[in-house]
Amino acid sequence: MLENQKTGEVIEASTSGYLAQCYELYQSPALGSLVKTRGDNNLEIFGVVCNTSTLGIEPGRRPIARGKDAVSEEEIYRSSPQLYKLLKSEFDVLVIGYSVEGRIYQNLPPKPARIHGFVYQCTMEEVRLFSRCLDFLSLLLNARVEIPVEELVIATLREMAKSYGIERRAFLVGAGKELAVLLSQDYVRLKTILKGLRYDAGE
Amino acid sequence: MALDMAKVAPQVAEMTARIKQERKGLLERLKLACDKLCSGKPDLELLKRKIETARTPWVVAGIYEGFGQRFSVSLIPDAYTVVATDGSHISVDRHRFARCYLINIGSVRLQYGQNPLAELESAPVLYSCERDLVIRCGEGRNREQAIEGALLDIKRSVEEVRKLAEILENPSLAGRILALMDGSLVLFGMENYPEFVVEEMLDRGFLKALARINQIAESKELALVSYISFPRSIDVVNALRIACCPFQTVNCEHNCPSGEAPCETVGEINDRLLFEQVLNAGERSCLFINPSLIMKRYGINRVYFFYLKVDEEIARVEVPEWVARQPGLVNLAHALVLDQCRRGQGYPVALSEAHEQAVVTGAERKEFWTLVEGYFTEDRLPVVFSGKSRSKRTRWI
Repeated sequence: MLENQKTGEVIEASTSGYLAQCYELYQSPALGSLVKTRGDNNLEIFGVVCNTSTLGIEPGRRPIARGKDAVSEEEIYRSSPQLYKLLKSEFDVLVIGYSVEGRIYQNLPPKPARIHGFVYQCTMEEVRLFSRCLDFLSLLLNARVEIPVEELVIATLREMAKSYGIERRAFLVGAGKELAVLLSQDYVRLKTILKGLRYDAGE
Repeated sequence: MALDMAKVAPQVAEMTARIKQERKGLLERLKLACDKLCSGKPDLELLKRKIETARTPWVVAGIYEGFGQRFSVSLIPDAYTVVATDGSHISVDRHRFARCYLINIGSVRLQYGQNPLAELESAPVLYSCERDLVIRCGEGRNREQAIEGALLDIKRSVEEVRKLAEILENPSLAGRILALMDGSLVLFGMENYPEFVVEEMLDRGFLKALARINQIAESKELALVSYISFPRSIDVVNALRIACCPFQTVNCEHNCPSGEAPCETVGEINDRLLFEQVLNAGERSCLFINPSLIMKRYGINRVYFFYLKVDEEIARVEVPEWVARQPGLVNLAHALVLDQCRRGQGYPVALSEAHEQAVVTGAERKEFWTLVEGYFTEDRLPVVFSGKSRSKRTRWI
């Protein structure tokens, strides 16, 4: 099994989600990636990246345009190396499950993530293990996040599908069927999601 | 509202009108001063001697490499490192229960070139021991000086330069290095303190740290510079006054007892206004020698300065004598300070970031005292305030 990649640190936390800061500027996990962090009592809390932002470290200091005379964007960072210290990338994580002693629950954890908890990108094996059950889709569909929920569902399933190799299509078809049940009363949303995933499903 | 703006406004209008009226005379004097500074070739040796023997009620810049010449930068290096420190403090508050102060030193290391790098740090230190709060003369308690007010400002400057020396000692620093400080290299106000305070703050503090930097510079290409934005000095204008003086020996009290002196034709202007007219963008003035009396203690760190025209403003750049005496280092200081200003929208970017690291906001000051109060309460120590402080904390009608 590949080692988990440490990708950031929790800086704000609640039961339903948390905000993490990346260790390196712009190095946030992709939208929809499955990540995990440790909670109290050896809980592992799983979540999906539901928004990413890059901004100045201090609220009162806004970045200004610097590249009028620069030939490339890289040159701006080379000529002002302090930018790497004055900007930060953050990502929001929506909690979609947790595990205790190896058993996965696709519900909200009893306690939230801890501040300064390390956030790891899940390995492909962990993604497959987690997504064997698709109950998390209902948490996703009912989430209140900054981006449209349909986009989050598409991104999550797309990211998860990458870990399935040749079974990718089977995974997406299974997820599609689950969505059809969950969204039986909302055809428009269902259509939006399925349309978003049709190329991934090889159609 | 405590400040009645309706009463302030007419006074502001009056001030503006007066400044406008005075401006015409000022511009005339300024033109005369520029002509005097730049026209012809003054006998520098004669002027030097005249300055050295002059008896004036004001201080006069010493002549070093010329008078009215201008120097431009030939080449700004692509690769260099700049190190800067700046400080901020929370003063001793005599109305509070805990006698202590806090100095926060912000430091920055920026490396340009093939391997760009940035290190930003803030280092707060709380001072509360007796030896931190008071300077004593020997072991006796009869002569002591509390570190607060202006002396705390001086203590902060000492800590800034100590931190700068500490960073410069890092063996990983190589290549061309600019060490930048904010404000003056001259510890103003020291003359108001007794000798034992001057020895502690200047000799064993500020100058000792400068000497450490000088020592580091023996094995590195390092220029130490202090940057003064929007300076108000008049040392060079005063040298112009001496140049204008028709008397062979300058003695203001003796020659012009009535106060109406011929040198008044260049009076009431300052060095910044003068060099704004004289220098083109990117150029520096000649190096001059700082005339402060305290310089006699500075030795190899005696302060020299030049004026630099950054694109928008005139800055005063001070360097120690060991930099001033090496033309290569003066050129380096000129080029790198200019480059820093251009990277930083008119102000050295390293200094601006060091300031950002150092600054303690009003909210943070409050938070600090709440923290101290919290610890006191937890340890059941008495938390008492002066009546004045209590009255400010709880305002009532």
